[in-house]
Amino acid sequence: MASADKLINTDVPEKDVFALHFLQSLSNLKTQNPLNSPAKSIDRVRKIKKAAYVSMARAAGGTSRLWSRALLRRAAKDDNKSVRFSRRKRKVTWKISSKRRKSNNQRAPVVEEAAERLRNLVPGGGGMETSKLMEETAHYIKCLSMQVKVMQCLVDGLSQK
Amino acid sequence: MNGGDLLLNCTDMSVLERQRAHLKYLNPSFDSPLAGFFADTSMINGGEMDGFLATAGLNLPMIYGQTTVVGDPRMSISPETTLGTGNFKKRKFDTETKDCNEKKKMVNREEVTEEEEEKSKITELNNGSPKSIKKMKNKAKKEENNCSNDSSKVTKELEKTDYIHVRARRGQATDSHSIAERVRREKISERMKFLQDLVPGCDKITGKAGMLDEIINYVQSLQRQIEFLSMKLAVVNPRPDFDMDDIFAKEVVSTPMTVVPSPEMVHSGYSHEMVNSGYSNEMVNSGYHHFNPMQQVETSSDPLSYFNNGQPPSMWHSDVQNLYGSLGV
Repeated sequence: MASADKLINTDVPEKDVFALHFLQSLSNLKTQNPLNSPAKSIDRVRKIKKAAYVSMARAAGGTSRLWSRALLRRAAKDDNKSVRFSRRKRKVTWKISSKRRKSNNQRAPVVEEAAERLRNLVPGGGGMETSKLMEETAHYIKCLSMQVKVMQCLVDGLSQK
Repeated sequence: MNGGDLLLNCTDMSVLERQRAHLKYLNPSFDSPLAGFFADTSMINGGEMDGFLATAGLNLPMIYGQTTVVGDPRMSISPETTLGTGNFKKRKFDTETKDCNEKKKMVNREEVTEEEEEKSKITELNNGSPKSIKKMKNKAKKEENNCSNDSSKVTKELEKTDYIHVRARRGQATDSHSIAERVRREKISERMKFLQDLVPGCDKITGKAGMLDEIINYVQSLQRQIEFLSMKLAVVNPRPDFDMDDIFAKEVVSTPMTVVPSPEMVHSGYSHEMVNSGYSNEMVNSGYHHFNPMQQVETSSDPLSYFNNGQPPSMWHSDVQNLYGSLGV
């Protein structure tokens, strides 16, 4: 189909953009939470993980993507900050009613069920239509692999010392 | 996939019909003064139009009897009509090329009305056929005209790409629900193909369900990897009495800097980068050069180049300390 070809655009920024954002959020973590304060390691892991995800969402274009929007919103909610993004979209949740589920099952039961599982994995996936979900998943996968590379580099570099 | 059947958007068609009827009823006198002009245009457009007209005028009423009834202007506003004309068009023009289809569909309203007038005049000039036949010919000619129209129109039309292009093959259902469903499925499968290229090992699996499973597994594994790596990063932690100023002091000793870089500078550099949305390598690097300006000469000294190369440069050791400074969580 000619119409849909141009719609898929899942370009992600360079790797060092991810690295930069990640380092910045880590340093922000440090200023929030000074080193001499006794923090539990589990807590630290959680914070680093959150920093990784948030920096990834920021590096991947902030609020321009649905998944990064959802991620940032969730993070802001965790911080008890009420952040209002510009250009808010109408919130639609794709809760499949029992009637619809039945018809879906008739159509392609396994695919819909798998798409449902994918919705739970991709941030903000609950509000996406299936084709949009696929597109966002593609972008999300790209960003995730980029972030994994960046973190791997960091860990390697730090453990060398 | 290479055929090129066409099903016009139902709303689109209803708009056409409505406007045609409207024009006919509101200003019937408008036809006559311009008729001579439009006769000329038909001549300019060449014999193909006339030939097409003739064949259309002969064949259409017989073959598409029920459609001509439906094409009556009084009934044309009703939804059944639009459906009927949609069917007719599909059958009539399923051999036309794809770009023609695109052009046809993306005509905006003004152009449509203009062309509509043109065609009605031309048909009146050419043969005094009954109104229903004229309508069919009008439609047919409009299609033809749109296919061979000038470039300015084409560019205009190409901007309006918000119509959904659907084609129904022989034997496929043509009501709007089936079309929408088919469009949806095509979109999904296309994106699935896209995802297939991203996920390693996914191209060996056939079937959507298996592919989706693989994608889910991949996303989960990536998420777990991030968790694992953040655990590692938390373990690779500087000593409790680790002081960032020490590192920067050392840095000053090793490289004779006149300006002592401070962590605030680093932060400001970073936040400055945050504001800009268009990142480039140079910008990122310049942001980093804020706090080790003496090493600008050596490209490998930039810690971020580590991420580019994948290989630790020779100067990495001193730069790890820089990273450490911002890493102490």
